Amino acid sequence: MIDTMGIIIASNISIPPLTDFRSATALPIAGGYRIIDFVLSNMANAGLENIGVATEANYSSLMDHIKSGSPWDLNRKNRGLNILPPNIGNKNAFEFIRGDIDILAGIREFIHRSRETYVILSLGNNIYNIDFEAAVEAHKTNQADITIIYKNMSGMDQKDLSRYTLLELDEFNNVIDIEVCPYYPKTTLASTDVFIMERALLESIVDECSSRGNHDFIKDAIAKKMSGLIVRGYEYTGYTDKIDSMKSYYNNNMAFLNEDMQQDMLYSHPIYTKNKDQSPTHYGPDSQAVNSYIADGCVIEGTVINSVLSYGVTVKKGAVVKNSVLMQSDMIEEDVILEYVVLDKEVRVTAGRKLIGQENYPLPVAKGTVI
Amino acid sequence: MSSKDCVAMILAGGQGSRLGALTKKVAKPAVSFGGKYRIIDFPLSNCVHSGIDTVGVLTQYQPLELNTYIGNGNPWDLDRNHGGVYVLPPYQSAKAGEWYKGTANAIYQNLSFLDRFAPENVLILSGDHIYKMHYGKMLEEHIKSGAAATIAVMPVPWEEASRFGIMNVSEDGVITEFEEKPANPRSNLASMGIYIFSYPALRHYLEEDERDPASSNDFGKNIIPAMLSNGEKIMSYRFEGYWKDVGTIKSLWEANMDLIDTPPKFNINDNTWSIYSRNTALAPQYVGKNARIKDSTVTQGCVIYGDVIHSVIFSNVKIGENSKVIDSVVMPGAKIGKNTVINKAVIGPDAVIGDGVVIGAESDGENKYKSKLCTDGLVLIEGGTLVPDSTVVPKCSMVEAE
Repeated sequence: MIDTMGIIIASNISIPPLTDFRSATALPIAGGYRIIDFVLSNMANAGLENIGVATEANYSSLMDHIKSGSPWDLNRKNRGLNILPPNIGNKNAFEFIRGDIDILAGIREFIHRSRETYVILSLGNNIYNIDFEAAVEAHKTNQADITIIYKNMSGMDQKDLSRYTLLELDEFNNVIDIEVCPYYPKTTLASTDVFIMERALLESIVDECSSRGNHDFIKDAIAKKMSGLIVRGYEYTGYTDKIDSMKSYYNNNMAFLNEDMQQDMLYSHPIYTKNKDQSPTHYGPDSQAVNSYIADGCVIEGTVINSVLSYGVTVKKGAVVKNSVLMQSDMIEEDVILEYVVLDKEVRVTAGRKLIGQENYPLPVAKGTVI
Repeated sequence: MSSKDCVAMILAGGQGSRLGALTKKVAKPAVSFGGKYRIIDFPLSNCVHSGIDTVGVLTQYQPLELNTYIGNGNPWDLDRNHGGVYVLPPYQSAKAGEWYKGTANAIYQNLSFLDRFAPENVLILSGDHIYKMHYGKMLEEHIKSGAAATIAVMPVPWEEASRFGIMNVSEDGVITEFEEKPANPRSNLASMGIYIFSYPALRHYLEEDERDPASSNDFGKNIIPAMLSNGEKIMSYRFEGYWKDVGTIKSLWEANMDLIDTPPKFNINDNTWSIYSRNTALAPQYVGKNARIKDSTVTQGCVIYGDVIHSVIFSNVKIGENSKVIDSVVMPGAKIGKNTVINKAVIGPDAVIGDGVVIGAESDGENKYKSKLCTDGLVLIEGGTLVPDSTVVPKCSMVEAE
């Protein structure tokens, strides 16, 4: 799809302490991946050759992850993957960036100089495995001005639904109302925060909003302008969720212990990520691993149950890791007991310590902590 | 072009016929090793960690897999503007065209490649050894000694010394004599097949050797003895550490087994000396609810439901429920069914083993799969083979694809 470009706005959702030093989009997930891998791989799989990743703050971790874009085959002579640091002129970023419109206004030049007719815009911090090629085709066939990709979350309780931007559709799939995180949800149709439109339309929306002091793409642009535009919904039926809290971060990691989920999310259309050149994971004579998702470079001499382990985690003899999410290079020493914890990178839990969270309140530990 | 201190040439043309069905379609250096690597990843990674950024890979036998594997060299950080990795197959020239006749002839035919980089020294490596070595230290010693050539040696057990090329050295490390597989070895220092030559000396002796029609154009048999008899100074460089020639099914299996003890005999989980390989990042390994994994390495893309005991499992392998894999090497993409037992075997890439199969069974009489290459009770299943449900494969077998 050489007529379509991609714009990903790196999310600034705050999930302390995990986002203290990195953008939420760069959060590790499912053992070996980062959240951005899903949208980026979906775009690459659809044949997009010009993708901009607009950042706001804390983006060094993101830059280190995507670098030249080669895992997504986006290290191209022209275009390919572009990291777009915030462009705020001589203003103070803290005052200047108040919404995604401000970030888009900062990359106006990039949008303007691109040559593609269409743009896929991702604003959120969601994981999914969407066939963007089919979605853009539908956008063209429907002659829509804007297409919003949504998922029907029927069955989800009201409180959870309130986390999403919800759409109301008419019988022809036209979006007739849109509400951002309403306290009393009227529908179950949750936006994936992915929008398809013509590049020229995006440019004019950004220009109009920023020149009138509007900051929010959905509330100010889509919701207010909807009457004059054809806004259509495009249903996605696979798995998706928004990573916006410690609980959803934990639950979405645990979801990968389900094999159908692994198949849907990582294999149906491949998800690429940076190759870490880690050696295979080593299991010792007394190791016990059950129902777990384990990346390379780990050394497992103890017990790992219902857990997700990223690269290079060490679990020493006698240690028990249960229902937990461990990020890169964590060191779990002898006879430690971990249950319902989320350890950021390079955490060391010294011999014999016990850390126990609860299923609905996983215990997070900040990067580099020694316990 | 500016000149290079040292250019490496990796001899990767050998068939490796003693690896049987493993090298039917690929050259030996492209054979899978250690969970997610190919044999050639070791010399290539050693080169880049040693600061050698120009590498020629001499291919001849079944080069397709090796060519595509090396590609532009990016996985080893060898995609460079000046230098990088080059695949060098034999070629036709205006006057003649011929296959590489021997290790020395292979380098001789590529002198014009070396001339382009005008190196001061040339490092000659084999594409079939498993080890981690800093060639830079050897190069430093070579330059300091002013020798025409330096050969890496390592002590081997005396009783095995007659299987190797043995160096007799003086106290200061100068090689006085070279004996290929001596019956009564006088030293236990074996050549590791790693040579550094000063380029002018190398060029001279290769040209001389080419003029001798009786020569078998081999470094060990011809070049080194000729240099010694001409009184050239050849130094030994002692290497202490893990090094293994993986030329046979048994030694390949053993070298894989050397990775899985705690601590391992050969440690590849080493962030200061990562072994690079061309592989896209795959999903983490999924260990099922009833799986049992002990004394093993398992890598990305695997799905394990059964038991894995003392084995090396490569990427994208599936092992079904109630199956047992013991003392075995299972190469990338192999699928193993349910209720299957695999004992002391090497399962080739993408082989499909059915349900209720027994591999490595005690033999009672006639064995239609018997192979002389499968010593010590080992079984080799060729890559891509379909082994139907309930098949029994006795020890010492080689099962080839239809």
